[in-house]
Amino acid sequence: MKKLISLTVNGKSYQIATEPNQTLADLLRYELGLFGTKKGCEMGDCGSCTVIMDGKPVNSCLVLAMQANRRSITTIEGLESEKGLHPLQQAFAEKGAIQCGFCSSGMILSAKHLLDKNPKPNEAEIRSAISGNLCRCTGYQKIVEAVKGVRG
Amino acid sequence: MLLPKFDFHEPLTLPEACQMMSEFGRKARPLAGGTDLMINMKKKIVSPEHLISLSRIDELKAAQCSGNMLKIGSCVTVAELTESELVRKNCSALCTGAKALGSPLIRNLATIGGNIASARPAADLPPSLMAYNAKVVLKKSSGERLVLLDDFFKGPGLTELQADELLTEIQIETPPPYSGCGYINMGIRKAQDCNIVNVASFISLDAPDGLIKTARIIMGCVGPKHLRACSAETFLIGKKASEELFAQAGEAAMKDCSPIDDFRGSAEYKRAMVGVLTKRTLAMAYEEVRSEN
Ligand SMILES: Cc1cc2nc3c(=O)[nH]c(=O)nc-3n(C[C@H](O)[C@H](O)[C@H](O)COP(=O)(O)OP(=O)(O)OC[C@H]3O[C@@H](n4cnc5c(N)ncnc54)[C@H](O)[C@@H]3O)c2cc1C
Repeated sequence: MKKLISLTVNGKSYQIATEPNQTLADLLRYELGLFGTKKGCEMGDCGSCTVIMDGKPVNSCLVLAMQANRRSITTIEGLESEKGLHPLQQAFAEKGAIQCGFCSSGMILSAKHLLDKNPKPNEAEIRSAISGNLCRCTGYQKIVEAVKGVRG
Repeated sequence: MLLPKFDFHEPLTLPEACQMMSEFGRKARPLAGGTDLMINMKKKIVSPEHLISLSRIDELKAAQCSGNMLKIGSCVTVAELTESELVRKNCSALCTGAKALGSPLIRNLATIGGNIASARPAADLPPSLMAYNAKVVLKKSSGERLVLLDDFFKGPGLTELQADELLTEIQIETPPPYSGCGYINMGIRKAQDCNIVNVASFISLDAPDGLIKTARIIMGCVGPKHLRACSAETFLIGKKASEELFAQAGEAAMKDCSPIDDFRGSAEYKRAMVGVLTKRTLAMAYEEVRSEN
C-alpha cells in the first residue's frame, strides 16, 4: 500500500506517495525525474546510483524510498548553483575525467563528500573515497587528477 | 530489478520493534543497513511479508564504555566503527575489519548487527569480535539472553536467533593488560571484494614480557562458519611469544580448518593461507602487546 513520505531533495521539499518496495534510486528517477542518478548493477557494487543522504554518500539502490522519509538527499543535480557548475563538475569536464559519463554522478558525489570532510586529501585518500564507484572506461587516472585539481 | 512486495514498518522504540517481531514472527525480517537483505530480496532468495526497519531506533545506535565493558548497539554502522575512538582504543582489530568491509558507500549503510546476523562465513567483523570474546544480546518481548558469539553461528546464514528475536547489542570486555589482537583479510582487490581467507588472533600475556596466558584464533572462509583454531590456541598457552612460535601455531591452525575448493581458490591454497595469516596476525597481536608497554 502506498504511503506518504516527505523528504528534501537538493534543498527542495517534496511530499510523495510511494510503494514500500520502491527504492530511493527509482523514486528519484521516476517520480522526480532526476535521471542524473544512474542505475547500473542495482546490487551496491557499482556506485552509479550514489546520492548523499543526511550528509553521507550511499548506494540509493539499496535504500528504500520510505527509509528516506524526513531525510535530506543531494543528487548530482543539486551541485550546480547560480554561479555555474560545481568546481568538481568543472574539473571532471576539463580534465577528461568524463568518458561515457555513467559513473560520473557517483564519482563526483563521493569526491564531494571527501573534500567536504578533508579539503586536502592525498592520492591514497582520493582513491579510497571513490573505491565504491566503478568506472568501466578505465578512466580512474583522470578522475583522480580532476579531484586533485580541486583540493584546497 | 524489482523488489518483491512487502509491508514496511518503522518502529521508533525497541519495545515497539520487539512487539512487531512477536506479532509477525517468521513472516517478518528486521531491516538494518539493507546491504545484505536488499540484495537477497532483489535476487528473490527471501521475500518477507513484513520488513521492520531498525534505523529510527536511537537506542540501537550508541557505542559506549561502562566499567570494563564496551557496548556497541547493533545499528552502529561500519563507517561509525572505523571512526570511533572508543573502538580503536579498545578493539583495534575490529577497527581494521571495519575498514576492510565493502566500500565507503556500503560502510555508510552496513551495520555491525547486520554483519553478524547475516552469518556469512567470509564476513569481516566476526573474526575479531570472536577473538575479543564478544557476546551478543538477543531480545524479544518476553525477555533477553546473552549469547557468546562463538555459540551464535550455526552455519552459513544460520544463527541462534529465533524468529521473534532481535540482536540489540554487542558486548566486549575491554581486553586485559598485556594483550593484543590482529586481523588480516585476504582478497583480490582492496574494496568491494569477498575475502578468500580472513583470520583474527588475540593473545594476552601473564606479564609485560611474560608467557602467553590466553589465545584465541578465528578463521573465516574455511568452514561453514567462522572456526576457532583450537589446537593452535592450545599450543600457544604457557609459551614465550616469538616468530618461530607463531609460525608453528600457523601450521597447527592449518589442521584446524576445513576449506573447500571454489572459484576463489583451491582448498589447498586457502589452507596454506590460514597458516600464513595466523602467523602474521599473531605477530600483529604481539606487536600491539609490546607497543602498550
Ligand atoms: C557491494 C557489497 C560489498 C560488501 N562487502 C563486504 C565485505 O567486504 N565484508 C563483509 O563482511 N560484508 C560485505 N558485504 C555484506 C554486507 O554489507 C555486510 O554483511 C553488512 O554488515 C550487513 O549489514 P546490514 O546492516 O546492511 O544488514 P541487513 O542487510 O539490513 O541485514 C542482514 C541480515 O541480518 C538481519 N538483521 C539485521 N540486523 C539485525 C538485528 N539487529 N537483529 C536481528 N537480525 C538482524 C536481517 O534481517 C538480514 O537477514 C558487502 C555487501 C555489498 C552489497
